[in-house]
Amino acid sequence: MRFPRTSIQIITLCGVLAAGVAVAQQATISSLRPTPPTQDETPPPMRPAIDASLREVRNYPEQPPVIPHDIEGYEVSANFNKCLSCHARAATGRSQAPMVSVTHYVDRHQQVLAQVSPRRYFCTQCHVTQTDDEPLVTNTFIDIDTLIGMSQDSE
Amino acid sequence: MTMTRRDALKAKAVAAASAAAGMTAPAFAQNIPTARDETELTWSKAPCRFCGTGCSVMVATRNDRVVATHGDAEAEVNRGLNCVKGYFLSKIMYGADRLTMPLLRKRDGVYDKNGEFEEVSWDEAFDVMAEKFKKTLAEKGPEAVGMFGSGQWTVWEGYAASKLYKAGFRSNNIDPNARHCMASAVAGFIRTFGIDEPMGCYDDFEHADAFVLWGSNMAEMHPILWTRLTDRRLSAPETEVVVLSTYRNRCYDLADIEMTFTPQSDLALLNAIARHVIKTGRVNTDFVDKHVNFKRGNTDIGYGLRPEHPLEQAAENADAVGGSSDMTLEEFEEFLEPYTFEYAEELSGVPARRIEALAEIYADPDKKVMSLWTMGVNQHTRGVWVNNMIYNVHLLTGKIAEPGNSPFSLTGQPSACGTAREVGTFAHRLPADLVVANPEHRKVAEEIWKLPEGTVPGWVGAHAVLQNRKLKDGEINAYWIQVNNNLQAAPNLLEETYPGYRNPDNFIVVSDAYPTVTAQAADLVLPTAMWVEKEGAYGNAERRTQFWHQLVHAPGEAKSDLWQLMEFSKRFTTDEVWPAELLDAAPEYRGKTLFEVLYANGNVDAYDISETEAHPNHESDAFGFYVQKGLFEEYARFGRDHGHDLADFDRYHEERGLRWPVVDGKETRWRYREGYDPYVTPGAGVEFYGKPDGRANIFALPYEPPAESPDDEFPFWLVTGRVLEHWHSGSMTDRVPELHKAYPNAMVYMHPEDAGELGLHRGSEVKLTSRRGDMLTRVETRGRNKVPRGLIFVPWFDANQLINKLTLDATDPISKQTDFKKCACKVEAAT
Amino acid sequence: MPEHHLSSLLVHTRPDTLDAVADRLEAEGCEVHGRSPEGKLVVTLEAEGQRTLNDALTRIQLLPDVLAATLVFHHVEPPEELARPL
Repeated sequence: MRFPRTSIQIITLCGVLAAGVAVAQQATISSLRPTPPTQDETPPPMRPAIDASLREVRNYPEQPPVIPHDIEGYEVSANFNKCLSCHARAATGRSQAPMVSVTHYVDRHQQVLAQVSPRRYFCTQCHVTQTDDEPLVTNTFIDIDTLIGMSQDSE
Repeated sequence: MTMTRRDALKAKAVAAASAAAGMTAPAFAQNIPTARDETELTWSKAPCRFCGTGCSVMVATRNDRVVATHGDAEAEVNRGLNCVKGYFLSKIMYGADRLTMPLLRKRDGVYDKNGEFEEVSWDEAFDVMAEKFKKTLAEKGPEAVGMFGSGQWTVWEGYAASKLYKAGFRSNNIDPNARHCMASAVAGFIRTFGIDEPMGCYDDFEHADAFVLWGSNMAEMHPILWTRLTDRRLSAPETEVVVLSTYRNRCYDLADIEMTFTPQSDLALLNAIARHVIKTGRVNTDFVDKHVNFKRGNTDIGYGLRPEHPLEQAAENADAVGGSSDMTLEEFEEFLEPYTFEYAEELSGVPARRIEALAEIYADPDKKVMSLWTMGVNQHTRGVWVNNMIYNVHLLTGKIAEPGNSPFSLTGQPSACGTAREVGTFAHRLPADLVVANPEHRKVAEEIWKLPEGTVPGWVGAHAVLQNRKLKDGEINAYWIQVNNNLQAAPNLLEETYPGYRNPDNFIVVSDAYPTVTAQAADLVLPTAMWVEKEGAYGNAERRTQFWHQLVHAPGEAKSDLWQLMEFSKRFTTDEVWPAELLDAAPEYRGKTLFEVLYANGNVDAYDISETEAHPNHESDAFGFYVQKGLFEEYARFGRDHGHDLADFDRYHEERGLRWPVVDGKETRWRYREGYDPYVTPGAGVEFYGKPDGRANIFALPYEPPAESPDDEFPFWLVTGRVLEHWHSGSMTDRVPELHKAYPNAMVYMHPEDAGELGLHRGSEVKLTSRRGDMLTRVETRGRNKVPRGLIFVPWFDANQLINKLTLDATDPISKQTDFKKCACKVEAAT
Repeated sequence: MPEHHLSSLLVHTRPDTLDAVADRLEAEGCEVHGRSPEGKLVVTLEAEGQRTLNDALTRIQLLPDVLAATLVFHHVEPPEELARPL
């Protein structure tokens, strides 16, 4: 199969309708930084991590879930792992926290272990908290359910 | 039910608009029962787009979109794991501000350096660009054109760029951003071993008894290698982890010995360790006698600043930075005499007893030691020395080139090794460790490239920092930047980088997927295909070459760097860019385009387009032959039978990468060691065949002070670096909402007592100022990094907090790599 | 060569005119896919040729109660390609 010659254009959201189709004239193209390097704006305030404990929908099943609560001051060291004090299998009855995924009990050689694999020990390498800062740029990623749903919807 | 392409596109259109509205796309939340053919995804392998670890990921595509990614369980490097960035790879291509059309600064319908960006066609873009390059070449010659590339170029992109510049434009002014990243490691390897890149591999993680981190914060910067280290440390409790850094970071959570040292004093620590090994009689004399030479390196070599700088004027050996003379082990011992643990403590602030404990780990013949380092060592005005001095310790003890005994230089970019180093896209290099200054090496290149003798010039081109100086001084006037964001990344932004880009004499072209601050400072911006929108190859830190196929289309008119380079070459003929004497001697090249002589040369166009039938790619479609295969096979001829053997092209598409040299179809895990490395002469046991006598060098090198240290006016050390959630300048990761919200803005990590003395607290807005510029940020006194008093750390990913306005453009004089880890600055409340 | 243009728009109106605007958009040939209580509408618009699309976009912009209409997604390809089953 050869690729068809197509053109897909996702136009930035600032362009109004008519200008979006015609030749766009843009003074500033840099969408993360609105000012020239010589001129700094006041940095946004430091916001705490969202602490609502409400689960966020994942973008795809393989995505590590984000942490929906504050973890400031949590110790995760060779001696102690605060995260596992709630999320380890045995702790979840008391904590009602989600149990760490079964994938975490598998070592490098696909052997299933009795406890969380040491290679998964440092939780924050994959799981991060979220602040309520607005993204600087919209992301147009489309998850698979949306793609499939849309095609069925249009039938 | 059949779904058409139109349905799929419509779904995409609705989802894009819904995302923009902050709405969930309607009616999708219901769990619609679906037939198997509708829920089936196409999964393909690809290396991760981020760091030099080289994890393999599985990428799911559907309807020309990436819909999911996860760690590749079959890949040896990461065995199914990714870090948080890797898990969000699916979203890096879908920032709503992807560039889809070339943008040219215009006024009244024509190019104007002070005009506004307008969308133009590729034809118009290349017309203007070719005119500028031709004018520059005609008026000022090849030394006035330049290119800044990347360790994120695919292998064939770097190779095609190198050919276009070094042979096409006959200019060696091409350098990659790997210069900011790996140059000291390269020079360290070449000086000690005569051949680039680590002798060991990641398998060392499972064999070592002790890990020593020299300034490397692997927990954040190489998370997957950190999982392998953690795995070993926690499942084999007798193993030890020693963490050395100038501030407390996440690696300390696993440290058995922690050593927070004063910047620059690593030089003294390493000499104290070497001294201890000798003094306590633990030199592996058999190994040293057979495999090692001793050299006294030149000292007082300056700091790579502009030549008129007083520090350069005062440096005795500023013009002989890499020189050395022979010495003996006894003389080396004498040289080390001053470096007692007490003296090292005085310079470093680390208690002598801890230094001794680390020295014992190296000295103990029964402990296998893996040393690991990246930017802490390499971004250092004595970075090459520190590389040499780590090898000193491993060579003295013979702990090298066998499982678990491994001095291991990690890399920061996905193809710093594969492209920047192996292809040799540096201003002084050619593929496979050949160099432009050597006439024999140039001849090899000209023969493989089927070009007349004398095509490749012998002058060493301008390195990264020098390119910026030459842009500012108006000596380089036509300049092309691909796959990097150097306005944000390069040191001393306000004094050196920005004035060069905006110099009215210069024409600056930036190829990027997104409108970065560098693109904003350019005159022409070219929209670029990224990652799985093209077929690619990367080479990671353990010499592993990995391939991937194009999996989706790039948006709009975005094209890969490879397409851009090759298409642009069609606009030049040899008569326009080569001197008369070269064409007189080889008249058959007259009147040909650079595309014809560089790419349609019988090598690069040797493979038929039909070979891409199962996995088409847009470059091959455009040029009518299997471009990537042709480029790779021509390139591979440089290294085969010369210690850099690569496998056949097609095999890499089947494998999760292979570690070179690949001889008789087999990869090499440990080089220089008989039984593992086929290049070692039978019976030799160990052979450092990069050097003519098969011996590696131990260098006697002293402690020397840094280029700039804190004083009364600028009382803090400024250290810059990365964070786990963002990669480099954030141009990809800051467009992933989850990563942005995990670490939204840069901040300055300060000791709470320093903050308190200045009347500051957590969250205070502050102005950081150095002799070169200032920046606004906010104070963090807690969090993941705990800095000592008198030192601050600021990450550089944030486009709104350009910390490189403050950094000093001092480099290692040998490697020309910038020291981003130490300069002097002050902190004050913002008013 | 015939060209099929497929686009999506984000249309802003006031919450109380949401349904009226949706009807007007449908009358212009748009397909309405979603509406938010704050007054945002997600619509697709298809046209044969750039000129036709531009005209429709201009008309939508000028519809009563439309505060703004932003083109978010735009795709062009030959109609026969679009009809191709996946």
